[in-house]
Amino acid sequence: MADDRKRMFQKDLETKFTKEHGTNKMEGGDITDMRIPYYRLGVDQNPRKLEMKKVGKDIAEKRGLAGYNPMMHCGGIPLGQRALTPSFISGNDDMMVENDDLHYVNNAAMQQMWDDIRRTCIVGMDMAHETLEKRLSIEVTPETINHYLEVLNHALPGGAVVQEHMVESHPALVDDCYVKIFTGDDELADEIDDQFLIDIDKQFPAEQAEQLKSAIGNTTWQAAHIPTIVSRTTDGGQTTRWTAMQIGMSYIAAYGMCAGEAAVADLSYAAKHAGVVNMGDMLPARRARAPNEPGGVTFGNLSDIIQTSRINPDDPANVTLEVVGAGCMLYDQIWLGSYMSGGVGFTQYSTAAYTNNILDDNLYYDVEYINDKYDGAADKGIDNKVAPSMDVIKDIATESTLYGLENYEKYPVALEDHFGGSQRATVLSAAAGSAGSLATGNANAGLSAWYLCMYLHKEGHGRLGFFGFDLQDQCGATNTFSYQSDEGLPHELRGPNYPNYAMNVGHQGGYAAIAAAAHAGRGDAYALNPLIKVCFADEMLPFDFSQPRKEFGRGALREFEPSGERSLIIPAK
Amino acid sequence: MAYEAQFYPGATSVAENRRKHMSGKVEKLREISDDDLTIILGHRVPGTDYPSTHPPLAEMGEPECSIREMVEPTDGAKAGDRIRYVQFVDSMYNAPSTPYFRSYNAAINFRGVDPGTLSGRQVVEARERDMEELAKFQLETEMTCPALACLRGASVHGHSLRLQEDGVMFDMLERVRLENGTIIVQKDQVGRPIDKKVDLGKPMSDEEAAKRTTIYRVDNVPYREDKEVLEWVHRVFEQRTMYGYKPAVQE
Repeated sequence: MADDRKRMFQKDLETKFTKEHGTNKMEGGDITDMRIPYYRLGVDQNPRKLEMKKVGKDIAEKRGLAGYNPMMHCGGIPLGQRALTPSFISGNDDMMVENDDLHYVNNAAMQQMWDDIRRTCIVGMDMAHETLEKRLSIEVTPETINHYLEVLNHALPGGAVVQEHMVESHPALVDDCYVKIFTGDDELADEIDDQFLIDIDKQFPAEQAEQLKSAIGNTTWQAAHIPTIVSRTTDGGQTTRWTAMQIGMSYIAAYGMCAGEAAVADLSYAAKHAGVVNMGDMLPARRARAPNEPGGVTFGNLSDIIQTSRINPDDPANVTLEVVGAGCMLYDQIWLGSYMSGGVGFTQYSTAAYTNNILDDNLYYDVEYINDKYDGAADKGIDNKVAPSMDVIKDIATESTLYGLENYEKYPVALEDHFGGSQRATVLSAAAGSAGSLATGNANAGLSAWYLCMYLHKEGHGRLGFFGFDLQDQCGATNTFSYQSDEGLPHELRGPNYPNYAMNVGHQGGYAAIAAAAHAGRGDAYALNPLIKVCFADEMLPFDFSQPRKEFGRGALREFEPSGERSLIIPAK
Repeated sequence: MAYEAQFYPGATSVAENRRKHMSGKVEKLREISDDDLTIILGHRVPGTDYPSTHPPLAEMGEPECSIREMVEPTDGAKAGDRIRYVQFVDSMYNAPSTPYFRSYNAAINFRGVDPGTLSGRQVVEARERDMEELAKFQLETEMTCPALACLRGASVHGHSLRLQEDGVMFDMLERVRLENGTIIVQKDQVGRPIDKKVDLGKPMSDEEAAKRTTIYRVDNVPYREDKEVLEWVHRVFEQRTMYGYKPAVQE
């Protein structure tokens, strides 16, 4: 490939690093310059920091207690001694955002993405229907199912059905709560009221719809989303508790059951345990979290939650990059950054992988390289894949890594943008790993490429990341195809709590992308769980899971409308 | 038979410099006085005694132990020194050393040291006088260019940023500055102002830094041209992968 290839990041970095933003005087220069003047302008160069400084001062005056003050940094040395520059959202060249606005606390779209995952569970209907038919001789028909769904869409947000004189939730506070169903049974789907159906044929390309319907078969599933405000107030375990309670009540009401009869217990069991799919598994006691908390969301599940593959199936690299963005935000910023650690910092690791098109450039370079050398193996398809072998992994991972390292060497602004080794390790390995997956259609081959990239990176630059993950990155090759049960999981089944990943800050989005890339590369309709893929193919969800990076950009630009707001019950100001 | 350790593969100047750093056979380029070193490390006032955390070992009446008999304590351990640190930041722009090669140098050539390696900095903890011995060695030799490397105990940001217009690695705390062609230290490694200017000498010229660096760069010695190193990395990768997959087949 010619070395004069137009890099995707060039335009973004030229704007970011050679134009003035706020009053930071960055105009002039070139993105290949190794030296620049440092103006040491501090906080006052940056509009967002100025806003935060003023608000901090106002709060301190109002409450008579010290608050946010950027001059506290390093005992009086202000932030921004170098220059504070905004970033582009990768894949969305018109979205330039302040980096502060990519912290999930400042970004309503990020909060909503996680809310929408945590408040979702999938509940099977077949056991309940069998219970009704066999134990009670109640006839279940499409009409009764439609009636039941109408009842449940009243009950799930907190409306009373078989109870009377009950306290209820105000519908305006829980208007994001609803349930729909889906099935692989075309005849049943035809009989279900459109408002209640996630229509697989409409939502997915024909080829993917066939795969999904074949996997789901004649089973029927409820995609339930409890209110954001409930989930936010409680925890991920509340999703199934809340859902099961309202499902039980709705069956009783819709089918005229006796509230105390024994079959209700069977229904409750079916609704709460037997046919329930959580988005995340429960974690062990030492990291005790309920189901549906981010540490338990496997990389395969997250790949299925993200919906880019049904919208843009012919560009598997794009599918991969959207999963990177979602994974970095959820796993690194929210899970490791907050649940596991406690606060500021992890956003900076993560945004490297979904801003300024640096990772995108590396992966699309890899796609060209693979397609040139392996006859279109990075294009969508099954018959075009190259068999995973040590030689193939070594070739693809090495070329991807060298290309990425050389970009940091040729473009000092790229190195400055990814100013920490953690960021570079993630970006380079995500590119190499995803490329390995795309070429082979095998996520563990992709994972193998990831680890070779880590070795090459460390050896080339004589540095890698930080204490917390260098160890795992250097022992990871050994458990890629491990024979040991606790380490030998297929990559789709690994997750952020997998033994060597539990502290790998900045890496988790890349890991998820490796799972997504293998299946997007093959043109699979799903990576791990067809039920989850269909459940999130639903445009009623507040967060658009087909383009998470754009949604984060909308959040940063303050254009995103979240659910679960409480203004109705807060005194007007 | 005298065995000559190989330390590192590769045929390029970068590989050769890596071998030198690992072996400790590096060229001394400058003199730093003990007092100046003490000032910029910032742990104690020059001329004062080393604070200790326990009495000298000789006075402690240690129990009988074959390991204790075999291993000669370091001077710092003998005296009971407290543990202190030195932390370097090395620029990506042809600084002579890198975090991993500073760590290899410390671990191979010095005793009683605890090197920590990160992407932007490299810390060594040791008994205070042992740490000073290592710090002095690394500062005085070709492992360090005073403009492209810096002692930074806190606020370490800078290794990957573009250089200042005068060629000095950016430091938000401005611990060092170029003055009349030499690098002057005006704050200790944490960033506290110091009473006197410590002169670390002249920066390396661009050519000299490119000659002495241990970093592969596409504009100097490209990584992809050092075939033996890549081959060696591939071998490590393959061996580790196969070990996890099927330990029995590994040689």
